[in-house]
Amino acid sequence: MKLEADDRAKLQVERIGGLAGFGGVGTHVRSHGEVDMAALSAAEQRAVEALFQSRGMARTAQVGDGFRYRISRTTAAGVEHIEAPEAVVPAALSQCVKDELV
Amino acid sequence: MNNRFSRVPDRNSTFTPHQDHAGSDAHRHSCHCFIIPHDVLERFAKDKKLSAKERQSFADAVRFEKEWRKVRTAQSRLARLACTMLPSGLAAAGPPAIAVYDCAHGTALPGTPVASPGSSSDATAKRAFVETSAVADFYQKLFSRNSVDNAGKTLLSSIHFSVNYNNAFWNGSQMTYGDGDGNIFVDFTKAKDVIAHELTHGVTEYSAGLGYSNQAGGLNESISDVFGSMFRQWRAKQDVTRADWLIGKEIMGPGAIARGYTCLRDMSKPSAKHCLAPQPTKFSQYYDGMDPHQSSGIPNLAFYKAAMAIGGKSWEKAGRIWYQALTGYAPSPNLKMRAFAKRTRTLAGRLFPAEPAVHTAIDQAWTAVGL
Repeated sequence: MKLEADDRAKLQVERIGGLAGFGGVGTHVRSHGEVDMAALSAAEQRAVEALFQSRGMARTAQVGDGFRYRISRTTAAGVEHIEAPEAVVPAALSQCVKDELV
Repeated sequence: MNNRFSRVPDRNSTFTPHQDHAGSDAHRHSCHCFIIPHDVLERFAKDKKLSAKERQSFADAVRFEKEWRKVRTAQSRLARLACTMLPSGLAAAGPPAIAVYDCAHGTALPGTPVASPGSSSDATAKRAFVETSAVADFYQKLFSRNSVDNAGKTLLSSIHFSVNYNNAFWNGSQMTYGDGDGNIFVDFTKAKDVIAHELTHGVTEYSAGLGYSNQAGGLNESISDVFGSMFRQWRAKQDVTRADWLIGKEIMGPGAIARGYTCLRDMSKPSAKHCLAPQPTKFSQYYDGMDPHQSSGIPNLAFYKAAMAIGGKSWEKAGRIWYQALTGYAPSPNLKMRAFAKRTRTLAGRLFPAEPAVHTAIDQAWTAVGL
């Protein structure tokens, strides 16, 4: 697969869970966004890399009704997905999503 | 790293992890320290790609995280011990203090304390105070429970969290409420059941200690919906036939209502079209990995059916049985729905031995959802 530079530079972000169960099967509320890696600060880029390295830091403290974020990126090896709780997601990612009714 | 934690004005002297998305990178690292796996923290502390300051920050977090987890475990154990060993002492502890903090649209928790929230000109602050006080009263009067830990823990709520934030949550120490975006949702403090739902996550954490995934997660969410709805009915002095059994009716925004969504969930009809988040109604539809806000529909429907069959006020019989099933056993983080159903069947006979109809109602309710 030949990757366009734009694909590699962008992160797809989906907000899931929460009291309303965003993104669940049959749920009528969704939240998506996209972030250009180049627009993030160096520290934010490192934080994103750390999230992917730790697979979203899956072993997390319990937050009742907390949001989680499904983050995807495209690399030469294919598309990588991770899920991370809101507390560890850089604000630039958690704030890029737009909630909408579907 | 000074503001990594906030001192909570709590008679139990707990320290609360401090989330901070809006602050500096150092702040962000500080909030990570409680949820990043220990081995990852250690790796970052040695990562030469990070600055010396960042490595030091992670090294500090490694040391502190160990101690914090010990303190938190000890605190939970102490609260449970106090419940069993010091009933008279607990009775004398008095009602919990109710504190409201204002995040002023930031994400640093808990925010700034609101002075005299019960008479605040900020309607959100006043609602958070009044309704949280009422939930504490509900648990005390109906179930003889003193706060989430049954030892008088201060009930802390943060309001105006983030910007257009469409959520409310319990983070293990406190409740937090967003203002909604004004379209899909409005201010999350407007729904009495939402406030009781979040506080009940605390009760669950300090009693059954249910996890937040698979069947235990669905039960965890259902317990919060059950006691949230029960609290709303109690405030309105409704019997089971007058109750609407909707969850989150008062937080639905104009955009959602215009599309016909009148609630988040409906305990009486979990799969109905008017629910923003429809749910399964039979245990045969459950699968591991299902979001707990979906799988909770199954035990929600069982509670509704049981309460309706028993009649009267939901908190008088069905509520007592559910409360005892939640709090009367050793912590069970991986509890299965069938095991919880078995508890309620057993308790129905034990708590209401002269009323076999109660046991029949509970038994048939669970059977109807496939459990």
